Amino acid sequence: MPGTIPQLAFFETVCVDPYATARKAAEEGSKVAAYMCTYTPEELFHAAGYFPMRLFGRNSGATNQADAHLPAYACGFLRSALDMALAGELGFVDLMVFGHTCDSMQNLADIWKHAVPNMKQLVITTPVVVGTEASIAYFREELARARARLDEIAGPVSDDAIVSSIVLYDGHRALMQRLYALRAARPGCLSGREMMAIVLASMLMPREEHALHLEALLGALDQDADRVVAAGKPKVIVIGNVVQNLDYAAVIEAAGCVVLDEDLCSGRRAFAMAPAESEDPLEQLARMYLTPAACPSKHQPGFDIGGALLERAQSSGAEGVVILLTKFCEPWCFDYPYLKEVFDKAGIPSLLIEIESNQPPSEQFRNRIHAFAEMLGAAHGG
Amino acid sequence: MSSERIPIQTAEKLQTLMFQHYMGAKMAEKSGGKIAWVTSGAPVELLHASGITPIYPENHAALCGAQKLGVPYCTAAEEKGYSRELCSYARTDLGCIFKGDSPVGGLPKPNLLVCCNNICGTVTKWYQVLQRHFDVPLIYIDTPFQHDEVTDYAIDYVLAQMEDALPVIEAVTGNPFDLNRLDRTVELSAQATDLWREALDLCVHRPSPMTSFDAFVHIAPIVTMRGTPECVEYYRAFLEEMRQRVADNVAATPGEEFRLGWDNIPIWFKLGGLSKRLAQHKACLVVATYTDAWAVDLSAADRTDILRQLSKVYTTVYINCGMKRRLQIITDMAEKYALDGVILHSNRSCKAYSFGQYDIAQILQDRYDIPALVLEGDMNDSRSYSEEQANNRIDAFMETLSARKH
Repeated sequence: MPGTIPQLAFFETVCVDPYATARKAAEEGSKVAAYMCTYTPEELFHAAGYFPMRLFGRNSGATNQADAHLPAYACGFLRSALDMALAGELGFVDLMVFGHTCDSMQNLADIWKHAVPNMKQLVITTPVVVGTEASIAYFREELARARARLDEIAGPVSDDAIVSSIVLYDGHRALMQRLYALRAARPGCLSGREMMAIVLASMLMPREEHALHLEALLGALDQDADRVVAAGKPKVIVIGNVVQNLDYAAVIEAAGCVVLDEDLCSGRRAFAMAPAESEDPLEQLARMYLTPAACPSKHQPGFDIGGALLERAQSSGAEGVVILLTKFCEPWCFDYPYLKEVFDKAGIPSLLIEIESNQPPSEQFRNRIHAFAEMLGAAHGG
Repeated sequence: MSSERIPIQTAEKLQTLMFQHYMGAKMAEKSGGKIAWVTSGAPVELLHASGITPIYPENHAALCGAQKLGVPYCTAAEEKGYSRELCSYARTDLGCIFKGDSPVGGLPKPNLLVCCNNICGTVTKWYQVLQRHFDVPLIYIDTPFQHDEVTDYAIDYVLAQMEDALPVIEAVTGNPFDLNRLDRTVELSAQATDLWREALDLCVHRPSPMTSFDAFVHIAPIVTMRGTPECVEYYRAFLEEMRQRVADNVAATPGEEFRLGWDNIPIWFKLGGLSKRLAQHKACLVVATYTDAWAVDLSAADRTDILRQLSKVYTTVYINCGMKRRLQIITDMAEKYALDGVILHSNRSCKAYSFGQYDIAQILQDRYDIPALVLEGDMNDSRSYSEEQANNRIDAFMETLSARKH
């Protein structure tokens, strides 16, 4: 049995009521800027005095009001977030920030503007191409436009303030990288659910505070060098888009697997920006955010997503891959057949489950995970 | 006024022309010519100006759909793991590749892929799949979505990508890119888009000389052949016939009483059925945002910097613009064409075109007093279309329009 680490409990507390931290901060006078896409440079909003918070929608419940604005083939992620706004649950949000992400997100920004007219909005049309000088130059200008709008609504944002925010976020990302590295070096030192809570908490609370808790946790993990949550179980890695309900990781682990690592939009991809050098902080941000390996909604010349995810799975030592996709996610669904082929060829079993990420795990989800765990377990035992 | 529908004569020419288009590409392949697969909104002028034969998988998919072959090809893609929720054009074309056939005997293999995301993000993924499959160069042109005003730096970005595309094209052809030839190609495109615009404009006439169902069919050359002399010649004949029909007062919908607009890609497998249903109600589709999207303005006045002109024109197409502009275009159409109502096809295959239509419909009704019907369907996958439900909704809509009129 793993030792309990008191520092871990905090992160779960943040995730129990995901928006409570931001709501409370708003009551105490903070201005909250909500965003949905990992390609949103939070540093810019932080520098403008905002508390940047990732909006995931709800973890359960109907979306009757959003259903009047989005057809049945829209993903639950967008639908749930819009429903929160229409139901008046986002009164604490001062500014809603949209990135480009995909066709659905792009159109949601306009729907939101019309359907939620009282909420201030800022759309950043992130380039679809990443990793080229032309797209970085364009993104820099788009960020300059965003900054000019922030100047209007929140007061002037200085270069120095942006630089300070970049330093702060870089520092936090470095801590997250340390945690990911520790998890790679000591497989199973944290459960999938524990890791997910740490990651999600970082997007729901001020980074500076999260960094303090993270340092304390890293220290505690160093002290408890033998901590292993689940030795000898089938090891899996979870890949996919947005998974914000801790129960998904919990169900996978309750089925008898241990989640060694993930490659999720609501996971490690949010910390993949590498520090970049530039005299101009906006160019620095553009460069940082367009450097990481592309999310499936992007185009990166020469990038092989299959190879990248296979390497992620192999380097983690995973025996199986669980692919969790929010239903109706076109970018991921186009990549799926190729990913399956890549994992098949490498002899790593993979399981695709389309989920309603804004609903609790379904019975079918549990059954399929159990069957997969049994199959892996049989191979494991044999 | 005749009560019989008089067919459009140019349709015969169209069949020959499209046959030649697909056969020509096959011949080109056999004789060592270069083939590019391109998205429907890509700056195809770059290819015509280089002697590369463009082929349009989207048009090819629509052709399959119109022949009611969408489902078997979609199924072939689904069997390979492509979700049924993916674009049915993509599934149809991928299915043709996997099955190795199609109504035109399959498409010739590409030497180059050209993808421009001004029509959707779907093509980004679709062309990544094609690149993995064919292992040929991919020119990708990212045209940032225009939520509000068009920004100069977005055009600069597109222009930079166009410039980067030229050496890739040169490597495929082995010849230097000829800007003078591009100028002549764009001139041919401009002539064709002008003729297309003029023909569509004639539908302001009562009775309308054609319906949008006719335009959905006759749009093929402007999509696939703009930039060629054949395309100009075709639309010259088409326009002439339309003018004659106006002069003769020929009604595309005999007894035309209601005039409707259409938003989104057609339901290809139901063109005939929907056309008949509306005709029974004496309703004529006179304008569509879909057919209008190719009536772009490539006027010579802006041609001082030709690559910049193309960058701007291709970045500001209907579907690359936000709801504000879409609404403006639809309300302008309603006025110009004296519409009694608008049908918005909520196309399960096309999130980019469809998300926002519920709000547009509501605004049309509440703010502009224009009745609007959102019709659930799919451009190519008949499994996502309920004929009975659609007909009931159309009938109810027409009753509302009738009540307003009488």
